[in-house]
Amino acid sequence: MSADVSNKITRNPRKSLWHSLFSTWDRTQITASFILVGLMAISPLFVDSPYFMGIIILAALYAFIGISWNIIAGFTGQLLIAHIIFLALGGYTTIVLLNTYRVSPWVGIFVGGLVAASAGIIIALITLRYGLKLDYFALFTIALLVALRTLFLKWEFVGGAVGMYLRLAKPSTAKMIFDSKPPYLYIVLALLTLGIVIQYLIYNSKMGKYFMAIREDEAAASALGVNTSRYKTLSVIIGATLAGIGGGFYVMYVTFIDPTGLFNLGVNVEIVMAGPIIGGLGSLSGPILGAFVNKPIAELIRGFLAEERSGITLIVYGLFLILSIMFMPRGLAGVFHSLYLKIKRPSKEEA
Amino acid sequence: MSPEIFYQTIVNGLFTGGIYALVSIGLTLIYGVLIIVNFAHGEFLMLGIYVAFWAYTIFELDPYLSIPLAVVLIGGLGALIQRGLIQRVLDAHPLNQIVLLVGVSTLLIGLVQFFFSAEPRSIHVPYETEVITLMGLRMSIPRLIAFFASMLISLSLYVFLRYTRTGKAIRAVSQSREAAKLMGINVNYIYMLTFGIGTAITAVGGALLAPNHRMIPTMGQAYSVIAFVVVVLGTMGNFVGAFLGGLIIGVVETFAGFFLGGDVKIIASMLIFILILLFRPSGLFGRKQT
Repeated sequence: MSADVSNKITRNPRKSLWHSLFSTWDRTQITASFILVGLMAISPLFVDSPYFMGIIILAALYAFIGISWNIIAGFTGQLLIAHIIFLALGGYTTIVLLNTYRVSPWVGIFVGGLVAASAGIIIALITLRYGLKLDYFALFTIALLVALRTLFLKWEFVGGAVGMYLRLAKPSTAKMIFDSKPPYLYIVLALLTLGIVIQYLIYNSKMGKYFMAIREDEAAASALGVNTSRYKTLSVIIGATLAGIGGGFYVMYVTFIDPTGLFNLGVNVEIVMAGPIIGGLGSLSGPILGAFVNKPIAELIRGFLAEERSGITLIVYGLFLILSIMFMPRGLAGVFHSLYLKIKRPSKEEA
Repeated sequence: MSPEIFYQTIVNGLFTGGIYALVSIGLTLIYGVLIIVNFAHGEFLMLGIYVAFWAYTIFELDPYLSIPLAVVLIGGLGALIQRGLIQRVLDAHPLNQIVLLVGVSTLLIGLVQFFFSAEPRSIHVPYETEVITLMGLRMSIPRLIAFFASMLISLSLYVFLRYTRTGKAIRAVSQSREAAKLMGINVNYIYMLTFGIGTAITAVGGALLAPNHRMIPTMGQAYSVIAFVVVVLGTMGNFVGAFLGGLIIGVVETFAGFFLGGDVKIIASMLIFILILLFRPSGLFGRKQT
């Protein structure tokens, strides 16, 4: 039956709404992403509990951060493991600007994005020249994370080991402090929408094609005239900026930041890596799908298991990564893609 | 800095560097043969020290006597992980390999935290604070033993790789998978063996630290980072480079600790890392990368 539908569509030159939303896998992914965003946007209508609203807000934030990592690791194939560095830098910038210099977080989180981008440029200049081994980039970011943790633990200006708390203040829109959850939800959904759009534009741009050419074969891309160092750096800058902005929002939402909590490889796995890996790295919908599996599971573990014994969270996330790579290397998006192809073209599959 | 302190710092640095050398040799050996960076490497050191702790609490076994246990258990675990998991991603995109190893590392930390808790643990042996003085240099007995054991193990491994049949097979695979396969070498067996050896000697490094070192489940990460710096300094895949690199980083770090304070010494390793990446990315012993 579905075969008939698709045949009719291809014969009909006038595009229906259905067609424009689901005609290709890429469009389907974008449509699905926006359906999820829409569902979250109306969720305050039927979710009362602040606890569940909190999960939705953090899931949306994880999706946004997942997108920022997806651009670097998924599209360009660069082994930037300790991506949480950018998140932490953005978060610290925002809170220092607010607490110490009284700069509104509406400005601060974007300054945080710029600081993260500058860090991205420095890292890229050191490690992303053409011909340097791919692994060096991963090694370097992990080493940098450990070094930054040590530095921030000692750096009293940003609170040292204690970290920094948001100064308690009356709720005020100018300071991005609210006494209920929905305003946070709409801010993070605006960010997520921005992320989805940016990711889609990159995916379809010439730059995006260069990114993917570098991922598939850097030497070949270089031979065809792609300035690979430049495009690798660009992808890191874009991803770092988005992650810095996400970090700024994160610290405004959780009202607290400290070095061991964020310059932490385990937390990096939870916030940055698990979502896109489960959802499907390199796809348009992977980071979003993954975040909606990842965050609720993280909460379940926290709520029911982690009370008993520490270490369970790490065990579950370790297994997540291992099992995803072994059995589902293209993630949930890959599974849905195969389903989509089956629904769309059963006749071709038979032939 | 008086000459006495200078020499004392060098000795302390070499003692620290001995363990670094051992851990880095494991990492470089695995890289040379499997062309995969073991991002879970430090975790095997952590497992080694916890094996010593476990044997000590249950059987009151002296930490040095638990070394064979660490070799068998952790080397075996490494071989299993290679055969069951890593073997299947050897031809995958490097990102998949790294994600898998980050998963392994996270899982191992989680398991140790589950069974031993995240609380710092330590072993108390009668000789833990004993010191001998030689030519005016004070040497802690456990660290002296750890240093000489590291040297001995490194040397034996070198001899093994150089002169035995299996060692030659390992080197053959690291030179060319294809040619080795054509010569009738069971390449997959060599992969498993190499990963087992690499993780086993790293676990020995952990057990050697046990008598005077506090342990926490996340302690491996710092050693991973140091081993990364060492193998990049000493050229990835180069045995002698990792050995000398380990000693160099140990000494540099100890001097940095003397001037900057113990906690910030990692900054020195980081600076070295940046300098190598900028000016000599192929390491001290490598030819220029093309």
